[in-house]
Amino acid sequence: MKIAVCIKQVVTRDWPLRIDESAGWVRDGDASFEMNEPDAYALEEGLRLKERHGGEVVVCSAGPARVAQVIREALARGADRAIHVVSEDLPTADAGVVAEALAAALRDESFDLVLTGLQSDDQGFGETGVILADRLGLPHATIIMEIAADGDGEGRIRVKRELEGGWFQWLSMPTPALLTIQSGINQLRYATLRGIMAAKRKEVRTVPFASPPPSAWNIVALRVPVKDKQTRFVDGPPEAAAAELVRLLRDEARAL
Amino acid sequence: MLIVGGGPAGLAAAYRLATRHRGPGGDPPVVAVLEKSREAGAHMLSGAVLDPSALTDLMPDWRSRGAPVEVPVTEDRIYFLTERRRIPFPVTPPPLRNHGNYVISLNRLVRWLAGQVEAAGVDIFAGFAGAELLYEGDRVVGVRTGDRGIDREGNRKATFEPGVDIRAQVTVLADGVRGNLTKSLVERFRLDGGRLPQVYAVGIKELWDVPAGRLPAGAVIHTLGYPLPHEQFGGGFLYALPDGALSVGFVAGLDYRDPGFDPHSAFQRFKRHPLVAGLLAGGEMVRYGAKALPEGGWHAIPRCHVDGALIVGDAAGFLNSMRLKGIHLAMQSGIAAADAALDALEAWDTSAERLARYAALVESGPIRRELHPVRNVHQAFAGGLLPGLLYSGLSLVTGGWWIRDPMPAHPGHQRMQHVRGERSAAPDAVPVDRRLTFDKLTNVHYSGTRHDEDQPSHLLVQDTDVCRTRCREEYGNPCTRFCPAAVYEMVDARGGGKRLQINASNCVHCKTCDIMDPYQIIDWVPPEGGGGPRYEGM
Repeated sequence: MKIAVCIKQVVTRDWPLRIDESAGWVRDGDASFEMNEPDAYALEEGLRLKERHGGEVVVCSAGPARVAQVIREALARGADRAIHVVSEDLPTADAGVVAEALAAALRDESFDLVLTGLQSDDQGFGETGVILADRLGLPHATIIMEIAADGDGEGRIRVKRELEGGWFQWLSMPTPALLTIQSGINQLRYATLRGIMAAKRKEVRTVPFASPPPSAWNIVALRVPVKDKQTRFVDGPPEAAAAELVRLLRDEARAL
Repeated sequence: MLIVGGGPAGLAAAYRLATRHRGPGGDPPVVAVLEKSREAGAHMLSGAVLDPSALTDLMPDWRSRGAPVEVPVTEDRIYFLTERRRIPFPVTPPPLRNHGNYVISLNRLVRWLAGQVEAAGVDIFAGFAGAELLYEGDRVVGVRTGDRGIDREGNRKATFEPGVDIRAQVTVLADGVRGNLTKSLVERFRLDGGRLPQVYAVGIKELWDVPAGRLPAGAVIHTLGYPLPHEQFGGGFLYALPDGALSVGFVAGLDYRDPGFDPHSAFQRFKRHPLVAGLLAGGEMVRYGAKALPEGGWHAIPRCHVDGALIVGDAAGFLNSMRLKGIHLAMQSGIAAADAALDALEAWDTSAERLARYAALVESGPIRRELHPVRNVHQAFAGGLLPGLLYSGLSLVTGGWWIRDPMPAHPGHQRMQHVRGERSAAPDAVPVDRRLTFDKLTNVHYSGTRHDEDQPSHLLVQDTDVCRTRCREEYGNPCTRFCPAAVYEMVDARGGGKRLQINASNCVHCKTCDIMDPYQIIDWVPPEGGGGPRYEGM
């Protein structure tokens, strides 16, 4: 089984974010970065599929030079080789542009499965995987919780999707296919010393992003939500105060 | 060759090993660096003003290689602070003249240095802590890394990954101030026998973004006095970086007498002084961190060579407390250790006798030249600010001579006084406005600290009964105050009384508890590799 896993480098969760001078993005000069969490689960799932069925896991990341950090981590965890689509503008690009960057790198190889995370921890559109499937001409399924071989036919898989309200859905679908993976589908392994050593000798192919399509949208402004807390005391006899409280909750706070 | 700790000392040793000499067969020795933080540099915290001499010795072309050492010190100011006023020192004492030095971010310097070291062919394994030393008889033969994937109760999780034994002909311990491996090695071989006890301080720092025009980049301010009483060692610093970035910090000696003292609170008080508050007004705190420093100086450095191992950097105590600098001495010690180790490898003899060449290099080189003349300075401050300053001045003339040399010293934790039922003399807590002053938990958030919650506590308290009984009466649980990250809390116990709760995942790895606990029953051991603060930009 030849598996591609798309990984994104994002600013570490819980990192105290600050908005940059353009007010269109966060200051990431001295930020701490990590692998997007759902992508890490996608990588783990790819590695487990390879361990069960054999084959190859190729990681692909699109972004500036700094994304080499997550590529190295993926190789240390066991991916066989990597493709880095180099472009400075991708961190703030829309999902269509990012999908095109990934598609340009993946199109020439025929993968049985392309895995992405469900969504990114930074922009969180949940679109990149879906658009990538379109660009690659593959069927896709989203929010995947489990992947199994399908007994019904060669070249088919059964996948479990997470629905709302604790419901799940099993699908049978043909391969090659693209799946967007939900966090928590498996348990992440640690990179081992041996894995880190081996990663240094693995192939990382860098490809330029030759012809980026125009962005469908621009980020106009980014704002930190203003946390506002006001305390008011309602005076008067209990019945009147209670009535006034209800009125305030209903008419002003609109909480009732 | 194995180096434990990817800070300035460890990386200097690694770079020297990889670039200077060739091994017996003409090949450079195989060098690996273990680093407990998730990425090189993530646990680096310093002021920092860098004396670039050691970097130049290590890598003469550091400028053209793009070292993030770009902001020369442009002015030095020293103030004595009273509660509302500042009194400038008429002259800047020579040790604090920083002409030729640079204001830097140590995190950035170490990140860059790690890149240079890797490019030279060294493997840096980030996310791996050295859990224990491996011995054959009395010879150090390597290090065992910590297990990963152990749950809170000590059971193996599905992802369990056992620690790995890494064997080496020479192991260089660069595990930083109060390093866990160095601590065990010093205890096992009594390497501190005949030396003065190490004395420490804790430094607490915030990185701020302030409006333009407050301080020119390269301005360096040091303060003495307020908020500390005369008998207590410590002081504040403000170092200006470009684009309105400002490092503001406070160093407090970990040999204070009043168990009610809270270094974090002193730092908040320092920020409220008109001098500091004026510089920070309208600005924004962007990062927080804390780290202990070894202040004891020349007489407190243990023997740093044993069969198969050397100790370098803050782990050994190579810090000049009079110049408030240690990065360059850490690097010098790394260079000397690398040279001694290579000499030993070439001779096929890594015994303590052969590795003693390291001590000889320290004795004959820049480290002794710098540390020996100020050997008694920190000890003099034990008598208070005035005797300390007088002696500091005297030592410049006498080359450090004193009637009793070494001047005697005591471990800091032994100086702590019992509460004796009196109210602590420490002032009340500082009001927290979340603009200028912060509570510990908010600050911890800004340190980027993260640990896997489902792991055993890495703060081992041998006997928590002491906490709720003796310590409560004698010292009023000072751990709840000296920890700058709110790790220790006394909470209500079921059935009355109090019990100790350890919030280990807050820990910023400063080591203050291991140092200052008056009963010496707290043992700091490394948590699962990759955990801890993330000091990017600090």
